[in-house]
Amino acid sequence: MPAQTLRRGTLPAAIGAVVLLSGCQFFDSDDGDVDITAMSPDELADYIVLESGSYRLEQSVQEGGSARGRMEQDELQRACSFTTSEIPEGLSGEVIEMARASYEEPPGGPRLGDWERGAELARSGYGFRVGHNIDDHSSRPPGGNCYACHQMDPDEPVYGTIGPSLAGYGDARGTDDASLSYAHEVISNPHQYFPCTTMPRFGANELLSEREISHIMAYLLDPESPVNQ
Amino acid sequence: MFKKALLALPVAMALGGLAAGGAAQASEWQDPTDVLQKLLDNNPDSKYLHQSEQNIMMMPDNPALWVAEDGEQLFYEERGPNNASLESCDFGKGPGVLEGAYVELPRYFEDTGKVMDFEHRLVHCMKEIQGFDADDPEVAQRHGNDTDVMQLTTYIAMQSSGMEWQPANEHPKEQAMLAAGEKLFFRRGGAMDFNCASCHGESGKRVRASRLPKMRDSQEWTKAVSWPAHRAGHDNVRSQGHRIRGCAWQMRHAGIKPDSMANTALIAFWNEAARGEPAVLPDLKR
Ligand code: HEC
Ligand code: HEC
Repeated sequence: MPAQTLRRGTLPAAIGAVVLLSGCQFFDSDDGDVDITAMSPDELADYIVLESGSYRLEQSVQEGGSARGRMEQDELQRACSFTTSEIPEGLSGEVIEMARASYEEPPGGPRLGDWERGAELARSGYGFRVGHNIDDHSSRPPGGNCYACHQMDPDEPVYGTIGPSLAGYGDARGTDDASLSYAHEVISNPHQYFPCTTMPRFGANELLSEREISHIMAYLLDPESPVNQ
Repeated sequence: MFKKALLALPVAMALGGLAAGGAAQASEWQDPTDVLQKLLDNNPDSKYLHQSEQNIMMMPDNPALWVAEDGEQLFYEERGPNNASLESCDFGKGPGVLEGAYVELPRYFEDTGKVMDFEHRLVHCMKEIQGFDADDPEVAQRHGNDTDVMQLTTYIAMQSSGMEWQPANEHPKEQAMLAAGEKLFFRRGGAMDFNCASCHGESGKRVRASRLPKMRDSQEWTKAVSWPAHRAGHDNVRSQGHRIRGCAWQMRHAGIKPDSMANTALIAFWNEAARGEPAVLPDLKR
């Protein structure tokens, strides 16, 4: 006979709500302890992510701190979590504002670095993965993973198609100040132009240093780069 | 030859199940190769479904069938500290009823007061009925052809091949988990701001060389969520939970745990997104 586990009584909805509002972990709980039907879907999702013990939130992460920080949403992530296929009316402007407000131009203005180093960074998908297999940034630096989503060098056989092809990008855009500024703005925080895009915020989220961004910009824009051959 | 016999088995069980007064099935058991063939025929333009001709060619010799066979033995064997088989395990359609159970999960279980996904329920039964401890390898090890959990999963899931996904959605807790699962699917987070829709929002796209299925295309999605599948690149049968863990890892989210509410809610929603479409069980993937 299957042994029955003791069914614990459900707490009043209000307690679930207090847990969410305070963000404290009163008890190590799962849905045996709280009334999940008393929460809105958003509240329940937050509860599941941050309070239910579903994720390894205590694990250290490469940028410092713990994985909890990864799962707590910032303003932009929250705004872009809509469940519709299209961005809701009116949200675009708000997200663009948010992104612009946090944008920082690099000291001395955007510059082109070394395209060869940029090529390596654009190819590498290493970095920032945690959980069951943690990327070790001390043995290998994190990359930009651009090829996961973009074609760049037209001779590179394997590339993703989530983003537009960037083959010949520098040929089309040139290397004047406006072009450098735009490329930097997009790589640093693409939501300034493409609100709620799938492209990561490489600068704003400190996935790449300013120096690394300058190398990738050279790979994109430098007339010598294979991207523009 | 052995495999043919194995394929015939669920049909016999289906008849038995119905005779015993089981609930009416939304659809009948079908050979996974036939299910996939129909999906391919119905969707000539799907780049995801048609990414590899070898996929359909290899289906009749899917190595997962051997894993299912090991699982069948394990299911009926008396094991564990309690020396019991899993025949009294209730996957939602009554003790020992496997036919159609997999495609109706996750569901709410009275005895635990929880909504549980398949693997969570299986492990619950192995602990409660057979007496395994959480640390015993029989329940602690979840991945790989030689684990009990993968063998049992493959056997039990196979009893639902060709049947329509219809995760339970009547109990208020099931509804709550489904709704939360949708929120989780679209929840941006992690170092790269990804949600699941970042990579599964459009049809025909690729991450590097990988063709991506679109969640809102239920015929692409039914193959996408059809795990257990022999994953050729890993040379192992993999589970739904293994796929979710892999995607969360790529997303640079925190590591997701098995038997967790997040895992269950995501599976509830992704099975829901394939509702009404036939499951390919076991499947074969790149
Ligand atoms: C997860 C996918 C993804 C990754 C990774 C990614 N991008 Fe993008 N990128 C996009 C998408 C999608 C767009 C198009 C904007 C939109 O419509 O959302 C885009 C747009 C761009 C543009 C603007 C193109 C234009 O028309 O002006 C540039 C430049 C760019 N990406 C560069 C990069 C670079 C450099 C990297 C690597 C450091 C990178 N991207 C990594 C998805 C990605
Ligand atoms: C950064 C891109 C990315 C994100 C974000 C992502 N996935 Fe995936 N997903 C993939 C790739 C790549 C595959 C493998 C496809 C292949 O091998 O053909 C995949 C495979 C899958 C599959 C199985 C399809 C198959 O053929 O292997 C499912 C189901 C799935 N993902 C669900 C999810 C869920 C749920 C989430 C959110 C928790 C998610 N994915 C987030 C990239 C992603």
